[in-house]
Amino acid sequence: MAASATALTLPLQQGEKRADDRELVRLSQNGTEAAFEELVRRHQQRVFALVAGILHRPDDVEDVAQQVFLKAYLGIKRFDQRAAFSTWLYKIAVNECWDYLRKRKVRPLVYEADLSEEQVSRLDGIVSSDRPPESASARTETREILERMLGALPEQDQQLLILKEIEGFSVQELAEILGLNVNTVKVRLFRARGRIMESYRRRLNTSGKGHASSAGSRKE
Amino acid sequence: MPRDTGFGNAACEQYEVLLEDYLNGELSGADAKSVAEHWQECAGCRAALQNSVAGLRLLRASEPSADPGAGFARIVMARIRAAESERASGRANFWQPFVSFGWRFAATATLALGVLVSYNAGLGHRLQPNVATARPTDNIDIFAPEPARAPANGDEVLMMVADNSHAKF
Repeated sequence: MAASATALTLPLQQGEKRADDRELVRLSQNGTEAAFEELVRRHQQRVFALVAGILHRPDDVEDVAQQVFLKAYLGIKRFDQRAAFSTWLYKIAVNECWDYLRKRKVRPLVYEADLSEEQVSRLDGIVSSDRPPESASARTETREILERMLGALPEQDQQLLILKEIEGFSVQELAEILGLNVNTVKVRLFRARGRIMESYRRRLNTSGKGHASSAGSRKE
Repeated sequence: MPRDTGFGNAACEQYEVLLEDYLNGELSGADAKSVAEHWQECAGCRAALQNSVAGLRLLRASEPSADPGAGFARIVMARIRAAESERASGRANFWQPFVSFGWRFAATATLALGVLVSYNAGLGHRLQPNVATARPTDNIDIFAPEPARAPANGDEVLMMVADNSHAKF
Protein backbone atom coordinates (compact mmCIF):
# COMPACT_ATOMS: atom_id res chain seq x y z
CA MET A 1 0.00 0.00 0.00
CA ALA A 2 2.81 2.39 0.88
CA ALA A 3 4.53 1.59 -2.41
CA SER A 4 1.42 2.27 -4.43
CA ALA A 5 0.85 5.55 -2.57
CA THR A 6 4.36 6.64 -3.54
CA ALA A 7 3.70 5.61 -7.13
CA LEU A 8 0.65 7.85 -7.13
CA THR A 9 2.23 10.92 -5.57
CA LEU A 10 5.24 10.95 -7.89
CA PRO A 11 3.43 11.77 -11.15
CA LEU A 12 1.27 14.29 -9.27
CA GLN A 13 4.36 16.14 -8.05
CA GLN A 14 6.01 16.10 -11.45
CA GLY A 15 2.97 16.99 -13.52
CA GLU A 16 -0.33 18.41 -12.45
CA LYS A 17 -0.71 19.33 -8.83
CA ARG A 18 -3.98 17.51 -8.68
CA ALA A 19 -4.61 14.64 -11.05
CA ASP A 20 -8.06 14.70 -12.58
CA ASP A 21 -10.52 11.89 -12.05
CA ARG A 22 -9.71 10.33 -15.43
CA GLU A 23 -6.09 9.80 -14.48
CA LEU A 24 -7.05 8.44 -11.08
CA VAL A 25 -9.55 6.08 -12.72
CA ARG A 26 -6.88 4.89 -15.16
CA LEU A 27 -4.46 4.22 -12.29
CA SER A 28 -7.20 2.44 -10.33
CA GLN A 29 -7.93 0.27 -13.34
CA ASN A 30 -4.25 -0.72 -13.33
CA GLY A 31 -4.58 -1.78 -9.70
CA THR A 32 -3.22 1.29 -7.87
CA GLU A 33 -5.16 1.24 -4.62
CA ALA A 34 -3.99 4.71 -3.58
CA ALA A 35 -5.57 6.20 -6.70
CA PHE A 36 -8.90 4.69 -5.81
CA GLU A 37 -8.54 5.90 -2.22
CA GLU A 38 -8.08 9.43 -3.60
CA LEU A 39 -11.24 9.02 -5.67
CA VAL A 40 -13.08 7.95 -2.51
CA ARG A 41 -11.84 11.05 -0.67
CA ARG A 42 -12.91 13.32 -3.51
CA HIS A 43 -16.40 11.93 -3.90
CA GLN A 44 -17.32 10.66 -0.44
CA GLN A 45 -19.17 13.81 0.59
CA ARG A 46 -21.45 13.86 -2.47
CA VAL A 47 -22.07 10.11 -2.32
CA PHE A 48 -22.99 10.56 1.33
CA ALA A 49 -25.31 13.44 0.41
CA LEU A 50 -26.92 11.45 -2.39
CA VAL A 51 -27.50 8.39 -0.21
CA ALA A 52 -28.83 10.54 2.64
CA GLY A 53 -31.13 12.36 0.20
CA ILE A 54 -32.66 9.10 -0.97
CA LEU A 55 -32.77 7.01 2.19
CA HIS A 56 -33.56 9.62 4.86
CA ARG A 57 -32.08 7.07 7.28
CA PRO A 58 -28.98 8.57 8.88
CA ASP A 59 -28.02 5.31 10.59
CA ASP A 60 -27.80 3.41 7.30
CA VAL A 61 -26.12 6.07 5.18
CA GLU A 62 -22.52 5.18 6.01
CA ASP A 63 -23.00 1.47 5.39
CA VAL A 64 -24.67 2.04 2.02
CA ALA A 65 -22.05 4.64 1.03
CA GLN A 66 -19.27 2.13 1.79
CA GLN A 67 -21.07 -0.45 -0.31
CA VAL A 68 -21.27 2.06 -3.19
CA PHE A 69 -17.48 2.49 -3.23
CA LEU A 70 -16.92 -1.24 -2.90
CA LYS A 71 -19.12 -1.84 -5.95
CA ALA A 72 -17.31 0.94 -7.83
CA TYR A 73 -13.94 -0.62 -7.03
CA LEU A 74 -15.05 -4.07 -8.18
CA GLY A 75 -16.49 -2.64 -11.40
CA ILE A 76 -13.94 0.04 -12.25
CA LYS A 77 -12.12 -2.12 -14.83
CA ARG A 78 -15.32 -2.21 -16.86
CA PHE A 79 -15.83 1.59 -16.66
CA ASP A 80 -14.95 2.95 -20.12
CA GLN A 81 -14.77 6.66 -19.07
CA ARG A 82 -17.26 7.77 -21.70
CA ALA A 83 -19.26 9.42 -18.90
CA ALA A 84 -17.73 11.34 -16.01
CA PHE A 85 -16.58 9.16 -13.12
CA SER A 86 -18.90 11.10 -10.79
CA THR A 87 -21.97 10.36 -12.93
CA TRP A 88 -21.08 6.67 -13.07
CA LEU A 89 -20.49 6.62 -9.30
CA TYR A 90 -23.76 8.43 -8.51
CA LYS A 91 -25.70 5.96 -10.65
CA ILE A 92 -24.17 3.13 -8.63
CA ALA A 93 -25.21 5.01 -5.49
CA VAL A 94 -28.82 5.41 -6.65
CA ASN A 95 -29.05 1.72 -7.61
CA GLU A 96 -27.49 0.70 -4.31
CA CYS A 97 -30.04 2.79 -2.40
CA TRP A 98 -32.95 1.17 -4.22
CA ASP A 99 -31.43 -2.31 -3.75
CA TYR A 100 -31.00 -1.57 -0.08
CA LEU A 101 -34.59 -0.38 0.31
CA ARG A 102 -35.91 -3.36 -1.66
CA LYS A 103 -33.89 -5.89 0.37
CA ARG A 104 -34.98 -4.32 3.63
CA LYS A 105 -38.51 -4.08 2.22
CA VAL A 106 -38.81 -0.52 3.50
CA ARG A 107 -39.63 2.77 1.91
CA PRO A 108 -37.51 5.86 2.46
CA LEU A 109 -38.18 7.10 5.96
CA VAL A 110 -40.60 9.98 5.86
CA TYR A 111 -42.57 11.65 8.57
CA GLU A 112 -45.73 13.52 8.25
CA ALA A 113 -46.49 14.66 11.73
CA ASP A 114 -47.84 17.94 12.97
CA LEU A 115 -45.29 20.58 13.75
CA SER A 116 -44.93 22.10 17.17
CA GLU A 117 -45.55 25.82 17.76
CA GLU A 118 -41.82 26.36 18.06
CA GLN A 119 -41.09 24.59 14.78
CA VAL A 120 -43.78 26.55 12.96
CA SER A 121 -42.41 29.78 14.33
CA ARG A 122 -38.90 28.81 13.20
CA LEU A 123 -40.09 28.08 9.63
CA ASP A 124 -42.19 31.24 9.66
CA GLY A 125 -39.10 33.25 10.45
CA ILE A 126 -37.20 31.68 7.57
CA VAL A 127 -39.99 32.16 5.02
CA SER A 128 -40.68 35.78 5.97
CA SER A 129 -37.06 36.89 5.96
CA ASP A 130 -34.20 36.46 3.55
CA ARG A 131 -31.82 35.48 6.32
CA PRO A 132 -31.40 31.76 6.79
CA PRO A 133 -30.32 30.47 10.23
CA GLU A 134 -26.60 30.84 10.63
CA SER A 135 -25.69 28.15 13.13
CA ALA A 136 -25.24 24.59 11.87
CA SER A 137 -27.47 23.23 14.64
CA ALA A 138 -30.33 25.54 13.66
CA ARG A 139 -29.90 24.55 10.02
CA THR A 140 -29.85 20.86 10.96
CA GLU A 141 -33.06 21.32 12.92
CA THR A 142 -34.63 23.11 9.94
CA ARG A 143 -33.72 20.14 7.77
CA GLU A 144 -35.37 17.74 10.20
CA ILE A 145 -38.57 19.79 10.16
CA LEU A 146 -38.49 20.06 6.38
CA GLU A 147 -38.00 16.32 5.95
CA ARG A 148 -41.21 15.84 7.91
CA MET A 149 -43.02 18.17 5.56
CA LEU A 150 -41.55 16.46 2.52
CA GLY A 151 -43.50 13.34 3.48
CA ALA A 152 -46.48 14.92 1.72
CA LEU A 153 -44.68 14.79 -1.66
CA PRO A 154 -44.07 11.88 -4.01
CA GLU A 155 -40.76 10.10 -3.28
CA GLN A 156 -38.99 11.29 -6.42
CA ASP A 157 -39.98 14.91 -5.77
CA GLN A 158 -38.61 14.66 -2.23
CA GLN A 159 -35.33 13.33 -3.60
CA LEU A 160 -35.14 16.04 -6.25
CA LEU A 161 -35.71 18.82 -3.73
CA ILE A 162 -33.23 17.50 -1.19
CA LEU A 163 -30.54 16.71 -3.75
CA LYS A 164 -30.91 19.98 -5.67
CA GLU A 165 -31.68 22.56 -2.99
CA ILE A 166 -30.00 21.11 0.08
CA GLU A 167 -27.18 18.93 -1.21
CA GLY A 168 -26.33 21.12 -4.18
CA PHE A 169 -26.61 18.75 -7.14
CA SER A 170 -27.22 20.47 -10.47
CA VAL A 171 -30.30 19.89 -12.64
CA GLN A 172 -28.06 18.27 -15.26
CA GLU A 173 -26.56 15.89 -12.70
CA LEU A 174 -29.98 14.94 -11.35
CA ALA A 175 -31.28 14.26 -14.84
CA GLU A 176 -28.34 11.93 -15.53
CA ILE A 177 -28.42 10.19 -12.16
CA LEU A 178 -32.17 9.60 -12.10
CA GLY A 179 -32.54 8.99 -15.84
CA LEU A 180 -34.90 11.92 -16.42
CA ASN A 181 -35.14 14.63 -19.03
CA VAL A 182 -33.64 17.97 -17.92
CA ASN A 183 -36.90 19.84 -18.49
CA THR A 184 -38.81 17.17 -16.55
CA VAL A 185 -36.48 17.75 -13.61
CA LYS A 186 -37.03 21.51 -13.83
CA VAL A 187 -40.82 21.20 -13.96
CA ARG A 188 -40.87 18.71 -11.09
CA LEU A 189 -38.64 20.93 -8.98
CA PHE A 190 -40.77 23.99 -9.67
CA ARG A 191 -44.01 22.19 -8.80
CA ALA A 192 -42.51 20.37 -5.79
CA ARG A 193 -41.32 23.62 -4.25
CA GLY A 194 -44.83 24.97 -4.60
CA ARG A 195 -46.28 21.83 -3.01
CA ILE A 196 -43.98 21.99 -0.04
CA MET A 197 -45.20 25.51 0.62
CA GLU A 198 -48.80 24.32 0.36
CA SER A 199 -48.02 21.59 2.88
CA TYR A 200 -46.34 24.17 5.10
CA ARG A 201 -49.35 26.48 5.00
CA ARG A 202 -51.73 23.63 5.82
CA ARG A 203 -49.67 22.85 8.93
CA LEU A 204 -49.47 26.51 9.74
CA ASN A 205 -53.26 26.76 9.63
CA THR A 206 -53.73 23.74 11.88
CA SER A 207 -51.06 24.71 14.40
CA GLY A 208 -52.25 28.14 15.52
CA LYS A 209 -54.43 31.08 14.72
CA GLY A 210 -51.62 33.58 15.03
CA HIS A 211 -49.44 31.78 12.53
CA ALA A 212 -52.38 31.09 10.26
CA SER A 213 -53.07 34.77 9.96
CA SER A 214 -49.46 35.55 9.12
CA ALA A 215 -49.47 32.78 6.51
CA GLY A 216 -52.71 34.07 5.07
CA SER A 217 -51.17 37.48 4.51
CA ARG A 218 -48.47 35.88 2.32
CA LYS A 219 -50.81 33.61 0.42
CA GLU A 220 -51.67 34.98 -2.98
CA MET B 1 -53.13 28.16 -19.67
CA PRO B 2 -52.66 27.67 -15.90
CA ARG B 3 -52.58 24.08 -14.66
CA ASP B 4 -55.21 23.18 -12.09
CA THR B 5 -53.62 21.77 -8.93
CA GLY B 6 -56.58 22.31 -6.69
CA PHE B 7 -54.72 25.00 -4.74
CA GLY B 8 -55.36 27.86 -7.12
CA ASN B 9 -51.74 28.83 -7.67
CA ALA B 10 -50.64 26.83 -10.71
CA ALA B 11 -48.36 28.28 -13.36
CA CYS B 12 -49.02 28.14 -17.08
CA GLU B 13 -47.59 24.80 -18.28
CA GLN B 14 -45.55 26.36 -21.08
CA TYR B 15 -43.93 28.74 -18.57
CA GLU B 16 -42.92 26.26 -15.88
CA VAL B 17 -39.46 25.49 -17.30
CA LEU B 18 -38.87 29.19 -18.01
CA LEU B 19 -39.97 30.19 -14.52
CA GLU B 20 -37.59 27.60 -13.03
CA ASP B 21 -34.73 29.01 -15.12
CA TYR B 22 -35.80 32.56 -14.18
CA LEU B 23 -35.78 31.62 -10.50
CA ASN B 24 -32.27 30.22 -10.79
CA GLY B 25 -31.02 33.23 -12.78
CA GLU B 26 -30.31 31.13 -15.84
CA LEU B 27 -32.14 33.26 -18.40
CA SER B 28 -30.50 35.86 -20.58
CA GLY B 29 -31.65 39.52 -20.41
CA ALA B 30 -34.34 39.38 -23.12
CA ASP B 31 -35.78 36.03 -21.97
CA ALA B 32 -35.74 37.10 -18.34
CA LYS B 33 -37.58 40.31 -19.26
CA SER B 34 -40.20 38.40 -21.24
CA VAL B 35 -40.83 35.95 -18.36
CA ALA B 36 -41.01 38.83 -15.87
CA GLU B 37 -43.61 40.58 -17.99
CA HIS B 38 -45.64 37.38 -18.10
CA TRP B 39 -45.67 36.61 -14.37
CA GLN B 40 -46.52 40.19 -13.52
CA GLU B 41 -49.67 39.86 -15.61
CA CYS B 42 -50.56 36.20 -14.87
CA ALA B 43 -51.87 35.61 -11.33
CA GLY B 44 -51.29 31.83 -11.51
CA CYS B 45 -47.66 32.15 -12.56
CA ARG B 46 -47.07 34.94 -10.02
CA ALA B 47 -48.46 32.86 -7.15
CA ALA B 48 -46.54 29.77 -8.28
CA LEU B 49 -43.31 31.76 -8.53
CA GLN B 50 -43.81 33.31 -5.08
CA ASN B 51 -44.49 29.85 -3.64
CA SER B 52 -41.40 28.48 -5.29
CA VAL B 53 -39.25 31.32 -3.97
CA ALA B 54 -40.55 30.73 -0.42
CA GLY B 55 -39.96 26.97 -0.79
CA LEU B 56 -36.45 27.66 -2.01
CA ARG B 57 -35.81 29.81 1.07
CA LEU B 58 -36.95 27.03 3.37
CA LEU B 59 -34.94 24.36 1.62
CA ARG B 60 -31.78 26.41 1.43
CA ALA B 61 -31.98 27.11 5.15
CA SER B 62 -31.29 23.42 5.75
CA GLU B 63 -27.93 21.95 6.57
CA PRO B 64 -26.46 19.68 3.88
CA SER B 65 -25.09 16.27 4.87
CA ALA B 66 -21.79 16.43 6.68
CA ASP B 67 -18.58 15.14 5.15
CA PRO B 68 -17.96 11.67 6.58
CA GLY B 69 -14.35 12.61 7.39
CA ALA B 70 -10.91 11.28 6.56
CA GLY B 71 -11.53 7.97 8.32
CA PHE B 72 -14.21 7.04 5.82
CA ALA B 73 -11.80 6.43 2.93
CA ARG B 74 -9.64 4.23 5.17
CA ILE B 75 -12.67 2.20 6.22
CA VAL B 76 -13.71 1.81 2.59
CA MET B 77 -10.23 0.64 1.57
CA ALA B 78 -10.13 -1.85 4.47
CA ARG B 79 -13.50 -3.19 3.38
CA ILE B 80 -12.27 -3.46 -0.21
CA ARG B 81 -9.18 -5.42 0.91
CA ALA B 82 -11.34 -7.75 3.00
CA ALA B 83 -13.64 -8.32 0.02
CA GLU B 84 -10.66 -8.95 -2.26
CA SER B 85 -9.16 -11.57 0.07
CA GLU B 86 -12.58 -13.17 0.44
CA ARG B 87 -12.85 -13.37 -3.36
CA ALA B 88 -9.36 -14.88 -3.59
CA SER B 89 -10.23 -17.54 -1.02
CA GLY B 90 -13.51 -18.05 -2.87
CA ARG B 91 -11.54 -18.80 -6.04
CA ALA B 92 -9.38 -21.30 -4.11
CA ASN B 93 -12.51 -22.90 -2.68
CA PHE B 94 -13.87 -23.31 -6.19
CA TRP B 95 -11.02 -25.67 -7.15
CA GLN B 96 -10.93 -27.44 -3.76
CA PRO B 97 -13.45 -30.20 -4.66
CA PHE B 98 -11.53 -30.98 -7.84
CA VAL B 99 -8.20 -31.14 -5.99
CA SER B 100 -9.73 -33.32 -3.30
CA PHE B 101 -11.23 -35.65 -5.90
CA GLY B 102 -7.86 -35.87 -7.64
CA TRP B 103 -6.10 -36.91 -4.45
CA ARG B 104 -8.74 -39.49 -3.63
CA PHE B 105 -8.60 -40.87 -7.14
CA ALA B 106 -4.79 -41.14 -6.97
CA ALA B 107 -4.92 -42.87 -3.57
CA THR B 108 -7.54 -45.36 -4.77
CA ALA B 109 -5.60 -46.08 -7.95
CA THR B 110 -2.39 -46.66 -5.95
CA LEU B 111 -4.20 -48.99 -3.58
CA ALA B 112 -5.78 -50.91 -6.45
CA LEU B 113 -2.41 -51.20 -8.16
CA GLY B 114 -0.83 -52.48 -4.95
CA VAL B 115 -3.55 -55.10 -4.50
CA LEU B 116 -3.18 -56.20 -8.09
CA VAL B 117 0.59 -56.52 -7.84
CA SER B 118 0.47 -58.41 -4.56
CA TYR B 119 -2.29 -60.68 -5.88
CA ASN B 120 -0.26 -61.49 -8.97
CA ALA B 121 2.84 -62.10 -6.87
CA GLY B 122 0.94 -64.40 -4.46
CA LEU B 123 -0.74 -66.37 -7.26
CA GLY B 124 2.58 -66.84 -9.03
CA HIS B 125 4.10 -68.12 -5.83
CA ARG B 126 1.27 -70.63 -5.37
CA LEU B 127 1.27 -71.80 -9.00
CA GLN B 128 5.02 -72.23 -9.27
CA PRO B 129 5.34 -75.52 -7.19
CA ASN B 130 2.52 -77.12 -9.15
CA VAL B 131 4.34 -76.43 -12.36
CA ALA B 132 7.60 -77.71 -10.91
CA THR B 133 6.03 -80.91 -9.53
CA ALA B 134 4.11 -81.57 -12.67
CA ARG B 135 7.10 -81.46 -14.94
CA PRO B 136 9.35 -84.40 -13.77
CA THR B 137 7.40 -87.54 -14.66
CA ASP B 138 10.38 -89.91 -14.39
CA ASN B 139 10.18 -90.42 -10.65
CA ILE B 140 6.47 -91.12 -10.52
CA ASP B 141 5.53 -94.55 -9.27
CA ILE B 142 2.52 -95.40 -11.33
CA PHE B 143 1.75 -98.38 -9.11
CA ALA B 144 1.76 -96.42 -5.90
CA PRO B 145 -1.69 -95.82 -4.48
CA GLU B 146 -3.16 -92.55 -5.47
CA PRO B 147 -2.92 -90.02 -2.64
CA ALA B 148 -6.12 -89.43 -0.84
CA ARG B 149 -8.06 -86.65 -2.43
CA ALA B 150 -10.90 -84.76 -0.98
CA PRO B 151 -14.23 -85.71 -2.57
CA ALA B 152 -15.49 -83.06 -4.87
CA ASN B 153 -19.18 -83.87 -4.66
CA GLY B 154 -21.78 -86.13 -3.04
CA ASP B 155 -21.37 -88.94 -5.59
CA GLU B 156 -17.64 -89.15 -4.92
CA VAL B 157 -18.32 -89.34 -1.20
CA LEU B 158 -20.64 -92.32 -1.75
CA MET B 159 -18.09 -93.94 -4.04
CA MET B 160 -15.37 -93.55 -1.39
CA VAL B 161 -17.61 -95.05 1.29
CA ALA B 162 -18.39 -97.97 -1.03
CA ASP B 163 -14.69 -98.49 -1.83
CA ASN B 164 -13.73 -98.51 1.83
CA SER B 165 -16.49 -100.99 2.66
CA HIS B 166 -15.42 -103.23 -0.22
CA ALA B 167 -11.77 -103.13 0.94
CA LYS B 168 -12.74 -104.25 4.48
CA PHE B 169 -14.69 -107.24 3.31
